[in-house]
Amino acid sequence: MDILIVDDSESIRVFLEQILKSCNYDSLSFATDGQEALAMVDKKLQSGEEYDLILLDIILPEMNGIEICSILKKEYKLDEVPIIMVTGREDKETLKNAFAAGAMDYITKPISTVELKARVRSALKLRQAVKKRIAREKELEKLTIELQNANKKLNKLASIDGLTGLSNRRYFDKALEKEAARMAREDKKLGILMIDIDNFKNYNDLYGHQAGDDCLKKVASTISETVFRPGDLAARYGGEEFVVILPDTDREGIYEVAERIRQAIENLGIEHNDSPVAGHVTVSIGAAVSNLKNNEDGETIVKLADDALYQAKENGRNQTVIASQNN
Amino acid sequence: MEKKETVVVDSDLKGIIPLFFKNRESDIEVLKESLANKKYEKIEQIGHQLKGAGGSYGFDYISEIGKKIEDLASESNTIEIRQLINELESYVNTVEISYD
Repeated sequence: MDILIVDDSESIRVFLEQILKSCNYDSLSFATDGQEALAMVDKKLQSGEEYDLILLDIILPEMNGIEICSILKKEYKLDEVPIIMVTGREDKETLKNAFAAGAMDYITKPISTVELKARVRSALKLRQAVKKRIAREKELEKLTIELQNANKKLNKLASIDGLTGLSNRRYFDKALEKEAARMAREDKKLGILMIDIDNFKNYNDLYGHQAGDDCLKKVASTISETVFRPGDLAARYGGEEFVVILPDTDREGIYEVAERIRQAIENLGIEHNDSPVAGHVTVSIGAAVSNLKNNEDGETIVKLADDALYQAKENGRNQTVIASQNN
Repeated sequence: MEKKETVVVDSDLKGIIPLFFKNRESDIEVLKESLANKKYEKIEQIGHQLKGAGGSYGFDYISEIGKKIEDLASESNTIEIRQLINELESYVNTVEISYD
């Protein structure tokens, strides 16, 4: 327990030192005036510590003890540090001011050693309890943050597709619902892309599942790099099928994004010698846009995009088809 | 005014009693000088400190003298202050101490 003693009289300082040391309070610091005391408190605060008790003389040159006490409590925020005033004055007004400034207790001069020991003991007991409480609160705060971080991590894990690192189907379903509601509310259009790797079964049969997984990863990261507006979301829909949510997008915009993705994947030039379309991996894309009127929801647009994807496959693959609709 | 010739002092304070008396001697010097120069504020301050320190060590009589000096300083009562300084000086020179 660190005790700071502030008194301008050397006789009082050595007296307090002697008596407190006889009670095994060994960590004592001394200041002779307010300026020195505040500098010492400040220095300790800089290193993340506080005194555990301050014995403060009231009558001091320059700044008096009540002013010092008030500064310590208000400016240095020593709310939890007990301050005992040591005073030759015990008129009502002085004591009232001392307590108003935040003092916890007072000792009168001349000092009775019995009284001094008793008051210091009870102040330090209180301080000990407060320190324990502060430590517990800090621990609790730390655990709460750890728990929050763990939950965030868990949520993220639960929403990510392990192989490709894209969002998974579960997360996509939630995001779709949320974005559809948001677009309807803001009277904007929602676009969906369904992307399927052409003749992926052939690829797996020819190159093996390991190569198949690598291909899925490359396609996934290409999609994810090509879709970059905030709010855009790429997810693995299942197997070799991917889906992209594009909020606030019109027909032209969605076609442009779809084609950018299709060409980027074609440009990867992943060899595919069993593809009837090309000598490399290609994708077919079905796109749909809706303003979510007439009882439409996210699922409706996904269905439209899926139909368009079917059309793209029918038309010979490696192309984008946009669902035709009136709105 | 109760004046004890032998004062019982807490044995925890034994080591700092010489320093205590050294400080009182310098107080007496400063008091005399301040009185000569009519620095009553300084006299009041030392009186206040004597009052606080004396009894803490067991020397209640020093506290009594200190309190009187403090009070008289505010009245600028030179004559009585001089008497008290002399009394303090003779007390400091003659008091006997025993430790409990």
